[in-house]
Amino acid sequence: MSEILELKQRIKEVLIEELMLQEQPDEIGNDTPLFGDGLGLDSVDALQLVVALEKNFDLKISDAEKAKLILRSVDTIAEAVTDKFPGK
Amino acid sequence: MQSMRNILITGANGGIGRSVAREFLSNDFSDHIWLGIHSHRSAAEEIREEFPGRVDLIELDVTDPLSWDNSLNTIIKKGGSIDVLVNNAGGHEDSLLATMSDDAWNRVIDMNLNGTFYGCRIVSKPMLAQRSGRIINIASLSALSAPLGQANYAAAKSGVLSLTRVLSRELARAGVTVNAICPGYIETEALSQMDERTRKAALGNVPMRRFGRPEEVSTAVRFLACSQASYITGSVIKIDGGIY
Repeated sequence: MSEILELKQRIKEVLIEELMLQEQPDEIGNDTPLFGDGLGLDSVDALQLVVALEKNFDLKISDAEKAKLILRSVDTIAEAVTDKFPGK
Repeated sequence: MQSMRNILITGANGGIGRSVAREFLSNDFSDHIWLGIHSHRSAAEEIREEFPGRVDLIELDVTDPLSWDNSLNTIIKKGGSIDVLVNNAGGHEDSLLATMSDDAWNRVIDMNLNGTFYGCRIVSKPMLAQRSGRIINIASLSALSAPLGQANYAAAKSGVLSLTRVLSRELARAGVTVNAICPGYIETEALSQMDERTRKAALGNVPMRRFGRPEEVSTAVRFLACSQASYITGSVIKIDGGIY
């Protein structure tokens, strides 16, 4: 598995573990929206996720606007973690 | 036996704060207690001497967010985690609302409500990250009744109850619990300052016909902080001898 695929798998595991989701990692698409019609996360999950990403990936998300961009999907989180996200 | 916990108690120089500290120290031998003190410290120093190596005094002005930042940084740096926060600091300045000064209103809201808010806010993130934690807010029976001359104090403590309920929902998924305790008349310095007539009138309102002891409050605090209380959150416990 390539490094980026491994990272996305790890992000899914963190999502499931930290947010106590019932899904399996392979049930979450890389581009599935995390909020709204996708995974259905809410603002409480968002806060938990911000804390979890800092804890697990040392990714600090300092403001709400950046959070909106980064927390869209597993893909966007992975981009931010690998420092490729333009808004980071 | 539970693992070592870092417990911060604000207002630790007062009657209930001291009792809460002793309750943890006498029963949970691996706990490390951080006593938040501001204007008075003699009683907190006595506790530190009584339990050598297990107590730190920490300068904390609960009305100042920066002071909270400094305190939490110290605790995390030295202790590694913050596991229990007991928001106990508070005070009242009573007068009828029609004659209440802006300062008296603002000071009481600041001390009781804003102080609790700052404390809850600063421990939320580390507790979310560690997926565990206990917050216990000491409110007052005044939050549930309508005591004459305490519009500021009652409003502040009612605010503490609302804050407790909302935060309990926000942190629930991480296993962090947030609860409040409403003590009634408890034998502390504040009560001893009451004149005899007021004391008798207060006692007349208590179905148990006695005032509470500080340890009857601190036992409940320790219970809410223990692992067995993990499913209790957003609750308000009245400890008042049955007043309704």
